[in-house]
Amino acid sequence: MPQDLADVYRTTYRALVRFLYRKVWDAERAEDLAQEAFARALVHKPTNARGWLFIVAANMVRDEARRAARERRHLTLLTAESQATVPPSDEALHVENEWTQVRTALERLTPRDREALLLWDSGLSYDEIAAQTGLALGAVGTTLARARRRLVEAYEAGTKGEHVARG
Amino acid sequence: MSHVDDGTLHAYLDGELSPPEAQGVAGHLAQCPGCRGRLEEERAVITRATKLLGRAAPPDRVLPPFRPRDVKPLARLWWKARLPLAWAATVALALGIGMYVGGPSGTHRVPAAEPRQPRADAAMKARRETVAALSMRDEIAASTEGKRAAAKPAAPSISGTVSLGDGRYVLKGPPVSVDSARLLLDADPREVPNLPIRGIYRARLLGYSAVVVVEQALDASTVIEVISGRRVPVALEAAVATGAGVEQADTPSAGARALLGRNADVPAAVPPPSPLPRARRPAADLFLDIRGPLSVDSLAALRRLLQPLRP
Repeated sequence: MPQDLADVYRTTYRALVRFLYRKVWDAERAEDLAQEAFARALVHKPTNARGWLFIVAANMVRDEARRAARERRHLTLLTAESQATVPPSDEALHVENEWTQVRTALERLTPRDREALLLWDSGLSYDEIAAQTGLALGAVGTTLARARRRLVEAYEAGTKGEHVARG
Repeated sequence: MSHVDDGTLHAYLDGELSPPEAQGVAGHLAQCPGCRGRLEEERAVITRATKLLGRAAPPDRVLPPFRPRDVKPLARLWWKARLPLAWAATVALALGIGMYVGGPSGTHRVPAAEPRQPRADAAMKARRETVAALSMRDEIAASTEGKRAAAKPAAPSISGTVSLGDGRYVLKGPPVSVDSARLLLDADPREVPNLPIRGIYRARLLGYSAVVVVEQALDASTVIEVISGRRVPVALEAAVATGAGVEQADTPSAGARALLGRNADVPAAVPPPSPLPRARRPAADLFLDIRGPLSVDSLAALRRLLQPLRP
């Protein structure tokens, strides 16, 4: 591996996993995809490896989503089974619940808002976010402001809705 | 200076304004209580959003080693296979054939099933043929890769996430039942009969979201792992078969022959790919991978014994 890519790996791998995780919601899968992105970077030797990796990773997730749609039926059945065999503790349920609510809130954002927010949270700068999303540099702050507010609102709406439902 | 908009406030709080811009904002905030109030509101929004995102973060793990030596051959093969197959490239990529082709060096995969006979009365015959074809390929493949497989350390595992192989391609999840495994594979998982089964796991190989690991124990210290992969659609098989000739002529490396060039290895065993409509998906291919800390001969012998695992 060229030295510069080794550096990028060290500094960017976790950020890339973090970014991917919020798209695939599966830690192992996110790591697999991150490794694959780096494997491809070895072949393509992009000049701006960091930005390139995030773009390739986003594309891989999109490709995979199409494939996943075909397999969803199997996975759903499997999930149901594993939940049935191991009854989760209250604490686990609580964590799981929060996790689900954040995920649901994130999925309520528009794709552009979500992308900007996830990229920022993975450690990309405004410049990098602008390059990746096609937003004007001046619009990144506005987009992030909106995305953050909507995330908080959607999350709180979700928890309130749940309390009402529980009565 | 006019009031500061939300976007600028966020950029200011994120430290993403240029120094002159930041100075301008700070100057305005110093004399505008309204904007100071909004600054604090936006700061709270940022803190809250960051905290929420933190609850949906992946588990913090140590940075896994990145081993380019494992990856480079794969990358090269991926491109070589792709070039003569521009029409099929999209299909191949979507199915992750790149990983399948390259694979982790030092593991061995055997394409297993012949296209199955549709008639029920031919099912048993087809199974016998499958086993026969398997052993034929094993003889060939064992000489090229068996030594490395034999040198692999034992990877006994308990439930939970355990990495297999070189730790990057296959990850095991919680144990599953035979029924679940069959559902994932659209076929019976494989086992070596008459050996204790330590567990059946759903696992993943990059590009294959459904890989089933049947872990069997020879004795207390030796574990073999039979890995069954999910079916590959016929259209992809056709693409791989077409690419095989090119690949073989170019570099008859062990990895390439074992996977890409498998039809070239055993031309008689595999009928030419027929242009079946993909929706039918009748004749598909499992790939099998049996590995363990065993001698080449023992692995080859075990491969010959492989049979569908029934509940």
